[in-house]
Amino acid sequence: MTLFFSNFAFSNMPFVNDILKHRSLSIVGLEKNTGKTVCLNYILHRLNELGVSVGVTSIGVDGEQVDAVFATAKPEIVLYEGTRFITSEQHYMKRQVVSVLEHVDSRRTSLGPLVTARVLVPGKVLLSGAATTAALREQMQMLDSMGCNISIVDGALSRLSLASPTVTEAMILATGAAVSANVKQLIAKTRFQYNLICLDEVAPSLRDNLSTIESGIWALDDENQAHDLGIASVFLIDRSEGDILRFGKRLFVAGAVSDRLLKTLSAKGGGITLIARDFTKLFLTPETYNAYVRAGNRLMVLQRSKLIAITLNPTSPQGFLLDSKSTCAALSDALQTPVYDVKKIEQ
Amino acid sequence: MKIKELIKQDAGFQYIIDSMEFMSAAGRRKALNTEFSTDAESLRTEWQRLAKAVTATLEYKYKKPYIDLRHCLMCLHDLQGTLASLANHTPLNEVELFEIKNLAMLCRTAKGGIDGLGLSDELPLPCLDAVFALLDPDHTGIANFYIYDSYDIRLTPLRRELNALQTAGGDPLRISELLVQQNEIQDAVCLHLSDQLTQWTDTLVTAMEQMAYTDLLLAKADLALRWNLTQPEVGETIEYKNLINPRLKERNEKARLRYQPVDLSLRSGVCLITGANMAGKTVLLKSVGTAQLMAQCGMFVPAEKAVVKLVDGVATSIGDEQDEMNGLSSYASEIIKISNILTECRQREMLVLIDEPARTTNPTEGKALVQAIVKLLEGLSSFTLITTHYDQLGTTCRRLRVRGFVEDMADVPLTPQNINRFIDYSLTEDQSDNVPHEALRIASILGCDEELIALAQKCVTAL
Repeated sequence: MTLFFSNFAFSNMPFVNDILKHRSLSIVGLEKNTGKTVCLNYILHRLNELGVSVGVTSIGVDGEQVDAVFATAKPEIVLYEGTRFITSEQHYMKRQVVSVLEHVDSRRTSLGPLVTARVLVPGKVLLSGAATTAALREQMQMLDSMGCNISIVDGALSRLSLASPTVTEAMILATGAAVSANVKQLIAKTRFQYNLICLDEVAPSLRDNLSTIESGIWALDDENQAHDLGIASVFLIDRSEGDILRFGKRLFVAGAVSDRLLKTLSAKGGGITLIARDFTKLFLTPETYNAYVRAGNRLMVLQRSKLIAITLNPTSPQGFLLDSKSTCAALSDALQTPVYDVKKIEQ
Repeated sequence: MKIKELIKQDAGFQYIIDSMEFMSAAGRRKALNTEFSTDAESLRTEWQRLAKAVTATLEYKYKKPYIDLRHCLMCLHDLQGTLASLANHTPLNEVELFEIKNLAMLCRTAKGGIDGLGLSDELPLPCLDAVFALLDPDHTGIANFYIYDSYDIRLTPLRRELNALQTAGGDPLRISELLVQQNEIQDAVCLHLSDQLTQWTDTLVTAMEQMAYTDLLLAKADLALRWNLTQPEVGETIEYKNLINPRLKERNEKARLRYQPVDLSLRSGVCLITGANMAGKTVLLKSVGTAQLMAQCGMFVPAEKAVVKLVDGVATSIGDEQDEMNGLSSYASEIIKISNILTECRQREMLVLIDEPARTTNPTEGKALVQAIVKLLEGLSSFTLITTHYDQLGTTCRRLRVRGFVEDMADVPLTPQNINRFIDYSLTEDQSDNVPHEALRIASILGCDEELIALAQKCVTAL
């Protein structure tokens, strides 16, 4: 399937042919109301035209008709014949498609068990999904085993965890006026997240070494041997005894990387390389990250996410409207990567 | 009393139930709802079924019918709620109908697995083919479900129009009109199907419960094999050869410590257990209690050979429960518990396990209380085990002594860490009215304060 489609160029379908190179895709928003659903509908529409077998789910609860926070009208998700989708029992009962139930999960969510169904007659649905990334991964494996060529996860709120390369192979980042109505700030905030997504990967041999480590902070010596520093959590790092750089200047953090850790390392001078699992483990503010880099240090990841595209929603939930064309151009220029206003492409 | 209540009273039994591997939530529910039984006939039948399941598991553990059956049970959902709705004539929705269809399909597959294991007499499952046929009007043979067009002739043209409009982006008003119509028809079909299914409510409940029971029986058989459990016999006495406490044995094995099984034989009446500290008296009481619960809940027991006397219940006063939160001192909560045990034993035949009664009060009254407890329980038909450190009780009841500390038992230097290797946990009949006086010696081996021990020794000599 992948080979077949990648030989074609779809000039009127930006980034869709990139999607076809992957088995799974997540759509995450930098903020609520950045147009994730519009983007998902665009992709579903195009994949349907190409005859690709698609599975869709969400993380947590999404797809409500009216936005819960701002009460603005939200576009619903449109599914086509043959698409498989996972949602909760209560949302399934509200569907506007005709569909065949293929599986009911034994675990219950607050909206009943998660159900998997295949669309017979197209229409709109409300999506909800597993609450944890582990359960989400299981659901995606099921979609895969049912014969879906690609599984797409619609993000909820501003959750990023589903974009971890351990969950989905590729991702799309949605940004827009909801992040900031000030174009300069919008660019700065988007660029910061973009930089984190695009952090350099370590060498594959080192990645294989480190990926089995489940917790703690580890130091690497010159022979790439990992030594457990015996610090249970990054929050305890400033209380730890002994020089954490005694084995070498490269550190690996298996869990979350916080501002506090970066501040501690910045104070130790330059030349430090900190390795995180992937960008979803980074909980950093631009100020701290920039200070850390300025001090001559480096941040790397075991596995980098494949960012397929950045999309822009020029409308903010408060009703503010940015100029689509110039904002896309400015953002694209700043990031050196294409940025799309999906609504404009669809027109 | 049910297992779910018994495990709250006996941590050892809780450990047993937690160690069982159920494939489904329904199997676990079935286990927790198992009644403590006093009926010899039904227990014998249950043990025989279990024995057959053990043989079948041993033979087929890595073979197709067993693996298929376990997988089938893994897919079993607990449909108690749905089946209750059905019994109350509450219409089922599509998801619930899917679940019923799935149950019918699983039941058929499970039947095949059970036949393959040669257990169809022990685990009979009803036939749900008619239910499956009702929910599979197009004869697809698979467990998918929706309100098929063939349920109502109006559905085909309606859905065809809907499809055309949705694909072409047609009039939204007409689309919602069609959706409303479709939903009305679907609801009517659900109502009709639920109505039809009502006649099979009992069969469906039986299928669900029998499959849950299959899971339970396989989990019991698996545990029996993993822990070398034994099928008990019903008798007038309680007899164990090599009785073990699975929880302690597992803990000892992890710590690379020796574990010694114990032989025990009990008649009706009171038996006093004496022995030095650390000699395993409390563990013995707990092991006897847990084994009795296992047997009377239809399980095999952790011993090499076992005869059990079926009793009306197991009553324990083993003092490591915390009652401070109830505002009671350890003495108060203990004496209330013992008083309740006496009341119970006057009405029913119990297995009574009392660990060191009256140890937290003054020795004069404490000893008197123990004498009274022994005398009262001697006159009743219960089986009673009491551990004590009091001597000269002047009772005529049977006494068993834990052999205890044996200095030359192992040929390594004695340390606080390996003291367990120098203790013989076996029991011996004891005619004397004395108890071993080894508390100071053990304190010394444990490396306690020398001045303390020397002073205590002086006081003992002065007596």
